[in-house]
Amino acid sequence: MDGQISNSHGEHGRFEQILSQFLLKSLHIVLDSRVPTIHPYNRKNDLSLGAQAKKSDKWFSLVLGDRPAALDNLSFWHRNLMDPMIIDIILVQDVPNYLSQPSPKAQEETVIERWIVQFEYVRTTTPQGGDSSAAYKKTYKKLIILLRSLFSMMRLLPAHRAFRKLCSSSKSCDYDINYKVSSFSAPFSRSEEELMKQYNFSPVEAQQGCFSISVTYRESLSDFNLETSALFPPQIISDYVGSPATDPLRAFPSTGKGVCATSFPSRGFQSTSTHSERPHSWTSGIHRGASLPHKQPLSGSPPIYQSSGRSDLSSSPTDVYGHRIPNYRLPNHYKNNNFDAYQLSPPFSPSTSPSPPTHLTGGNFMQSRLRSETSPVSIPHPMLGRSPRYLSPNLSDTSRHSLPPLSPRNAKHDSSSQESPSGMRSLRKLDLSKAGELNSGMPISYTGQKLSGDTKDDSGRFSGLLSSSGSPRIGFSRSSSRISFPDDLDDCDFSCPFIVDDVDTSDLQSSQNLGVSKTLEVSSQVISTARKSHDAAVGALVHMFRTAPPLRQDSSCYSSRSMKQEIGQGAGSSSAFFLPRKTSDALEELRAYKDMKELLLSKSARMAAKEEA
Amino acid sequence: MNCEVCQLKELDVEHFEIREVLGCILHTILFHRALGLVRPKDVDLQLFEITYVQCADAELEKKIDEKIGQFIDRVDKHPNKKTQICLSFYEVKSKQATWFTNKVERLHWEQWYINLNVAQLPKAHSGKSQHSKLVVDPGEVALEERDVRRAALEASLREVLFQIIKFVNEKRDHVPPIPNVEGVSFPYEITISSSSDSAFGMDMFKRMLQTGHPTMLS
Repeated sequence: MDGQISNSHGEHGRFEQILSQFLLKSLHIVLDSRVPTIHPYNRKNDLSLGAQAKKSDKWFSLVLGDRPAALDNLSFWHRNLMDPMIIDIILVQDVPNYLSQPSPKAQEETVIERWIVQFEYVRTTTPQGGDSSAAYKKTYKKLIILLRSLFSMMRLLPAHRAFRKLCSSSKSCDYDINYKVSSFSAPFSRSEEELMKQYNFSPVEAQQGCFSISVTYRESLSDFNLETSALFPPQIISDYVGSPATDPLRAFPSTGKGVCATSFPSRGFQSTSTHSERPHSWTSGIHRGASLPHKQPLSGSPPIYQSSGRSDLSSSPTDVYGHRIPNYRLPNHYKNNNFDAYQLSPPFSPSTSPSPPTHLTGGNFMQSRLRSETSPVSIPHPMLGRSPRYLSPNLSDTSRHSLPPLSPRNAKHDSSSQESPSGMRSLRKLDLSKAGELNSGMPISYTGQKLSGDTKDDSGRFSGLLSSSGSPRIGFSRSSSRISFPDDLDDCDFSCPFIVDDVDTSDLQSSQNLGVSKTLEVSSQVISTARKSHDAAVGALVHMFRTAPPLRQDSSCYSSRSMKQEIGQGAGSSSAFFLPRKTSDALEELRAYKDMKELLLSKSARMAAKEEA
Repeated sequence: MNCEVCQLKELDVEHFEIREVLGCILHTILFHRALGLVRPKDVDLQLFEITYVQCADAELEKKIDEKIGQFIDRVDKHPNKKTQICLSFYEVKSKQATWFTNKVERLHWEQWYINLNVAQLPKAHSGKSQHSKLVVDPGEVALEERDVRRAALEASLREVLFQIIKFVNEKRDHVPPIPNVEGVSFPYEITISSSSDSAFGMDMFKRMLQTGHPTMLS
């Protein structure tokens, strides 16, 4: 009996202890998170230093730090443990004084949060025997969880921001947070209730009843203009880019891009650079005439230019296909603004230009400018539309060398800008057309690049007519009487079947001859480019022979077709010179050979008949 | 004892936000489940105006950081898959040691599934590289969009935290008794899985069952 009474007293005592500690702890949590005076900011250091927590602080496994003395005396506020504990968090704001007299400022108090912590006593009829210790442990465990969630919730509600601002702000804020603890409170007005939201924590059941916490809080504190947006201290931006005003030599990436855009408004210039480039150097680079074409973003980004513009010419730029572009020397006259129109368009897309040779030359020009500052020499390139990707591996060594004029006439042609493009144009026309057209229909394909042979003609330049298949093109040699090959190509290992014999070409159509010779002249210049690196040129030739298409009977239609094909394939694909051979092509070629043979036979028969006569 | 499962709301995050968001969620859950003596520590997120609470436990922080690192690696390796993190608490029940097995059984009593939908990086970069005109305008639009998205993510993250608190409050009965330890009181494990992993595994298993693949025997 006595034991039971003592037990019940003990239990009641234990329960009271738990309840009082629960109320204290929750009060501590609430005020610690809302009222700066209760929670001085430096108090956090005590916890972080690993100081031994007081025994009283260890309740509910939550160490909060020293409880203010005022809170210890709960009985001062809370006479009856069974009464609810109502904690009002009050926002105190100074009311602007519109009156002129210097009366003390009025203060407006608004309850922004109301916490109700209570134990709802439920009289139960169930026997209190049994394992109460286990029950208490369970209850205690659940109270721990409850208080943890209370602690978290304090930081999620809107009032937390106001509290943090109050704590962190060095200067005085125009508001303050106060609190009131009581066991009863005046209910909210209707208008106030509309602005408030309620959240009830799940109650923790105990043997005698249940512990509960609930909160009514203001959803939004924007009405109070607390300026809680800049809550966290400003951070130093380590990689801050200064404005152009402060550091004119250093530009924003956007500024650089803007410069680029304005410099090339009509070009649709792609300012894709994410690098912050100096606008000055960029701008100055733009107006530096010779380097203008380099604006062409071969890789689509100004820095490529920049690196070259600053005479960092060690690395050759990459074309749009990411391949290294050899630098070709181009004629001085190309330095002018002729290439402005093409500077921003890819150098190897013939579709965008009516004059592909110029286009290509423009691209070459860019590349060469990027590489060297010496005066460029014209390299009218017959490999129209051919991607430099193709050229580069073979001619990279030759890139540094200009194309010396093979003869005085060559020099003349080199220096004439107008002729070369036209020459190249006609060459383009002919590169796919057979020389057979010039030579009474004999199909001949040529690549217009490297040749070995004697320089024969007064034009003395052309050396670039070659057979694609490598088979002897006698007809061509007939037609190429006016074709001359540079002496320098003699040492080429490759034995060219088109070594010119001095064959009478009187039966050739003169106009076509002229056209051919012009193109051949142009081509010879190209060939002379290659002479400097024989091995590379040989490799190029071999490749050309393997891939060059045969010439066609109808040059005009073929050239147009080849143009279309070239356009269709784009800059990176094979040029018109190197159309894939099909069986039909081979058959046509065979037919052409047959015709040639017959023609020769008939001629020889005629000559024999003449002699006899 | 039953296993309570909580599927947290899915969040759309960008790569650089993963660490903060994941850290916030994991620490919040653990704070509510570390029922040993803890010293709570407030942590302010850099990217969002959210403060969460974590246990001031250096070892726990280190473990969580490691796991987040693993998650990020997983996301980087499998960019097109949804990667999920599962934080599960278990009790250790040691089985009777037999001749063959001496296993320690884990009884999971709670599982939290954190679903992050990581936005693909190329999206961000492609926006930068497509410059066909002045950069300023597209940049501004992108910034606005980013602000909107950031605000939405902040609201969603707040919702997730509320969701955690609600779950923690509602389900208390399944929590095992607290051992007399400090800090994290219950053993836990964090597992990372990609969305198609389980599907792939199941497919493989089904295929093997059907075909009777010899590897099954191994």
